[in-house]
Amino acid sequence: MASASSLAASLSPTTPPDVMSRAELSEIDASAKWPVIVFLVSGLVWLLIGTAFALISSIKLHTPEFLGGYEWLTFGRARTAHLNTVIYGWSVNAAFAVAFWLMARLSRTRLRHPGLLLIAGCFWNLGVTIGVIGILAGDSTSIEWLEIPPYATPLLFVAYAFVGIWAVITFRFRKTEHIYVSQWYLLAALFWFPWLYSIAQIMLVFQPARGTVQALVNWWFAHNVLGLWFTPIGLAAAYYFIPKVLGKPIHSYYLSVLGFWSLAIFYNWAGVHHLIGGPVPAWVLSAGIAASLMMVIPVVVTAINHHLTMVGSFGVLRYSPTLRFVVFGAVNYTIVSLIGSAMAIRSVNEITHFTHFTVAHAHQGMYGFFTMVMFGAVYYILPRILLKEWPSAALIRTHFWAAAIGITLYWIDLSIGGWIQGVEMNNASIPFLDVVRHTLPWLWVRSLSGILLTVGHLAFAANVAWMLAAPRAAGATTPTLFQTPPAVPVR
Amino acid sequence: MEWIFYTLAFLIATALSGSAVYALYWSSKHGQLRDFERGARSIFDDEEPVGRMTDHFPAKRPKGP
Repeated sequence: MASASSLAASLSPTTPPDVMSRAELSEIDASAKWPVIVFLVSGLVWLLIGTAFALISSIKLHTPEFLGGYEWLTFGRARTAHLNTVIYGWSVNAAFAVAFWLMARLSRTRLRHPGLLLIAGCFWNLGVTIGVIGILAGDSTSIEWLEIPPYATPLLFVAYAFVGIWAVITFRFRKTEHIYVSQWYLLAALFWFPWLYSIAQIMLVFQPARGTVQALVNWWFAHNVLGLWFTPIGLAAAYYFIPKVLGKPIHSYYLSVLGFWSLAIFYNWAGVHHLIGGPVPAWVLSAGIAASLMMVIPVVVTAINHHLTMVGSFGVLRYSPTLRFVVFGAVNYTIVSLIGSAMAIRSVNEITHFTHFTVAHAHQGMYGFFTMVMFGAVYYILPRILLKEWPSAALIRTHFWAAAIGITLYWIDLSIGGWIQGVEMNNASIPFLDVVRHTLPWLWVRSLSGILLTVGHLAFAANVAWMLAAPRAAGATTPTLFQTPPAVPVR
Repeated sequence: MEWIFYTLAFLIATALSGSAVYALYWSSKHGQLRDFERGARSIFDDEEPVGRMTDHFPAKRPKGP
């Protein structure tokens, strides 16, 4: 693909530089249009399906007879279907969409042969569909985070291979000399995920390892999917969108590089803290705990960096939907990671293990951090690839407040409820059934927050559908749709 | 049979760790770890320069001083 065929190169050499770079940006955004739309819309459909399964499983926890007559909606299947639809359906699709757009923009090069990515998108979603139907039919592998039955996983792997290779090709054709920190995160994540997924599939599903090695591989995979796949993509987006929206470089680029490399060194070890108290060698657990605590370094470094970039510009949160979601996500990243490190300490883990505390933690990470950052990214990307403005500011506000209040209520509620549950379970004089009964009020509040999240998702879906269907406004030809706003004091 | 997979897993893990070390070496060799000021500014250009906000709610532009 000769770059001479690009629009920017065809302009007269006397063209002013800002017109030149606008043409270049416009071309990059246009090349990513269809892959981003396909991955995003399919992700959104999965988000809605996943939300339905979430509500069903949440209600079943306090009202077990709800939909009790359907075997394919029993708790074990509905909850598993929820996990796999929101992870492999929503989160991975959204991650692909955002990763492509970011990679193309940061490399300042067009996405080549986007048609092949559409095929990869079809394969991925076909794989998830077969997998979820398989789970509902009772074919779950019963290995946490890898429940998708083995007849669907090869499809996922083939689709992933396409996507990963394409991002690397985009990077290979980069026109920038400097590799921005977001690109480091994206590239690393794109290499780490196939490694995690293939090794875990082989050692747990196709040729299962024996004994405790299975548990070790399981938690090495399940935790690293969060830390070495979703976290880097979420952070890549945060490191791009916060400075980009503000029009202000990141406070300390040095800290961002330090954060990246310390995550790369420590995270891989951390997953085994899920097995504290389990029958695995003590040194493995100690290493995992040490690594979990070392994660404080990249987390604090990232938090300081994002905060100092924001200082003086918090007023912009009133104006920018993207910044609101991304900053909310970044703040949650700091909180959830510090709680996570604390949960790896043996004395804390004795209480939180096997309780709703862990559930609160997982949701704060995947939703409060990752999903919120992805929402923010979508609010930035879609107008630029569709050359349209978001149709409704009210729907964006509804989405933000429903999601932000919903997830905050969710994690605080279940953290308190889970802690009480853990303390009571450690007290042998309290009958187990009483401990279960005491969790009921917290579970009701959880369902309530689930309803709030559902409202947010419906507002988001309505806005996206409306935007896709709406005709393009006359004169909207620039890649950055939003016209230059009057200067806002950015200190 | 099992040992084939363990060996494979070990080799892949070694290769990945090796590539990470190489990436760090490469980035220091190619000036990626120098001039952080320039690195931080690399996402801005003439079209979207430093000092210009690039996002806001539809139909609601901030009123600057």
